[in-house]
Amino acid sequence: MKAAYWLMTIALTLIAVAMVAFYVPEEASMGPIQKIFYLHLPAAICTFLACLVCFVASIGYLMQRRVFWDDLASAAARVAVQLCSVVLITGMIWGRSAWGQWWTWSPRLTFSLVLWLLYVVYLMIRMSVESGQRRAVIGAVYAIIAFLDVPLVYLSVRLMPDIHPSSISLATPMKLTLAFWFLPILMLTVGLIFARYQLSQASTQAARGVDAVMPSKFDFSEVA
Amino acid sequence: MTRTFRQIALLTGKDLRIESRSHQTLGLVTVLGILIIVVLGLGLGSQNNVAAFSATAVLWVAYLFSGVLCFEKTMAVERNDAVLAALLMAPLDRGIIYLAKLASNLILMLAVAAVVTPVGILFFGFDLTPAPFVFAIVMILSIVGFAAVGTLFSAIVSSTKLAGGLLAMMVFPIALPLVIASTQMMLATFRDGHGPGATGIGILIAFDVIFLTVSWLVFEWVLEP
Repeated sequence: MKAAYWLMTIALTLIAVAMVAFYVPEEASMGPIQKIFYLHLPAAICTFLACLVCFVASIGYLMQRRVFWDDLASAAARVAVQLCSVVLITGMIWGRSAWGQWWTWSPRLTFSLVLWLLYVVYLMIRMSVESGQRRAVIGAVYAIIAFLDVPLVYLSVRLMPDIHPSSISLATPMKLTLAFWFLPILMLTVGLIFARYQLSQASTQAARGVDAVMPSKFDFSEVA
Repeated sequence: MTRTFRQIALLTGKDLRIESRSHQTLGLVTVLGILIIVVLGLGLGSQNNVAAFSATAVLWVAYLFSGVLCFEKTMAVERNDAVLAALLMAPLDRGIIYLAKLASNLILMLAVAAVVTPVGILFFGFDLTPAPFVFAIVMILSIVGFAAVGTLFSAIVSSTKLAGGLLAMMVFPIALPLVIASTQMMLATFRDGHGPGATGIGILIAFDVIFLTVSWLVFEWVLEP
């Protein structure tokens, strides 16, 4: 089942790449570099999806205190950071070609960067706290605050001067290709979140197993 | 309602009394703020092409670092002699502890800003006369929002006994909408001369309301003796 899912994702990715290479026409003013857009936009939307999963799982953890919510939040945050990195890198490559510079403090670039920072900090916080339960509570509180911060970041960056295109008119083959690209990216997002979640669960269970074998590994009173 | 206010006033009074007797926080944080302005002033101010508007960005750097130190110090007081454990046993709603801590932090931060802001304005030659009230309102709203998240995260960091760098790492990215909105409003008001705009003020008020409410709601989960 798992192998079939990943094979399907790879097959869809190959078809999507083939569509970009052979099917979709080149954009008149920007040329072939515009084709990075077919990866850029679906990755940006899937980043929000991963952030939303992290937010919901964090609320779930604070309400129910079940470890699987924490594992899911952590998995989603990791995937959000990975996808946001893709958005930033593809955006910078595109910006270099379109505006002649790798980085400008335009609203959307700044927004993506702040979003990336928010979730990188989430992962750093998790790495800094040793106690499992405490880490989960702190992570959940931070993830909720970070997600609520996202619309405010979006609104505040709109006060900055913008050179980013707000809307792009696309020909029908372009729309089709863009719509198709959502499939592999979405499957990749869901698959990565699930794979990361299973890994976290396995490590949680392994830690529990160690505790069961050595319940008093830090309890020196029994030795005494 | 009166009981709630009395409890908040009692706890805030206790924090301010400790500060007035120990002089642990205010002096240290104010000097840090001035030092940051001097260092950035020496780095930027000696270059002739730096605009006076840079003062707002420099002030933000001073507020952020001074704020983080202030929040850490006020929460560290509760850790001494297990004061927090005693506070948690008191018949108080934990939201009240948050609001009292926020009030203490806010009073200290405003006192720091009252000294650091004129220093920044003076060193960078920033002319406030076109809209002094806009400047004051934007800065006060920003400091309220910053103190709201700073108070919550200082409680989190203090309960994990982690190094102070973590608090800065948590608070800085969350506070970025405040930095972006207030610096953009300052540019619009003092450079372009067309006022701060309702959107900018709306963002600051929304930030304050959202994070005051959420921090108050989640505070009981993060507080541990």
